[in-house]
Amino acid sequence: MALMILRRFGKMDDAKELVAGEVGDATGARLGMWLFILSELLLFGGLFILYSAYRYKNPVDFHHASRELDVILGTLNTIILLTSSLSMVSSISALQRGDRKLSMVLLMTTIALGILFLINKGLEWGTKIEHGIYPNAPALLARAKGEILFYGLYYVMTGLHGLHVLVGVCVLLVMLLFVSKGKIRSTHFTPLENSGLYWHLVDVIWIFLYPLFYLIS
Amino acid sequence: MKPVEEIRKTRYQTYALVWVVLIILTGITLSAAGRELGGWTVLIALVIAGTKSGLVLNYFMHLRSERLTVFKIIIPLVLAVFLVFILLTFSDLAFRGGVK
Repeated sequence: MALMILRRFGKMDDAKELVAGEVGDATGARLGMWLFILSELLLFGGLFILYSAYRYKNPVDFHHASRELDVILGTLNTIILLTSSLSMVSSISALQRGDRKLSMVLLMTTIALGILFLINKGLEWGTKIEHGIYPNAPALLARAKGEILFYGLYYVMTGLHGLHVLVGVCVLLVMLLFVSKGKIRSTHFTPLENSGLYWHLVDVIWIFLYPLFYLIS
Repeated sequence: MKPVEEIRKTRYQTYALVWVVLIILTGITLSAAGRELGGWTVLIALVIAGTKSGLVLNYFMHLRSERLTVFKIIIPLVLAVFLVFILLTFSDLAFRGGVK
């Protein structure tokens, strides 16, 4: 039935994928992943609007608070995430070419870079917390209203993003296991491809978080 | 299996080149932020961030080689929805002051 419908819409290529069985409906799986990714973009989009609204109301306070963030750590984390995206996409490419070993090495590189990102983030948060800047901290509450808002948004947005990185690392670890066991291979790589899409989403979000928190002041 | 074939054709060099451009754009954002550009700072940062995400979406996420029409319209559609949210929020913010 599905085959007939696909044929009717002229999607012969997809029909072949279904016949092959092993690949399954790769396009449908990707589309599903994209819908999830778009909902995630809107989730962060809402937070970005909140940030813009408070920034519009408290430009001076945001300026002062933003200056205190560590630009070097922020830039380093940007480079780490961009590089991890490169190793992720290359890992999928290597698997599609049938080079399982290279794919696994690149996947491990991606995971390692993700962990490195989280370590940096942890260090950054650690320093801020040591200085008494954390949500509801007395030292923070004594500051201007806009600065309290800035740090509230900083913790929520980088925290939610960090959580996504953590989830991404876990998903990629499972993928690594699947690739090593041959469950994901050159003829069946949709799960790895979709995990890659998720990883790039995390990168795209950081691309916006980085200038908004660390640079614009 | 056209999309797969096309993805296969994407060489590692292409990905590496995209990565180099992304790093360069990061450098430009960083150096632009250090200058006194007034109101332009935010705009420049957002335009560069938009360009960077465009590269990631098209090359790393292979949006470029998707051939179903639905993949071509979802991003503009979500951006349009997002724009409506932004306009509603800021029209509220801009006119709220007088009421208070």
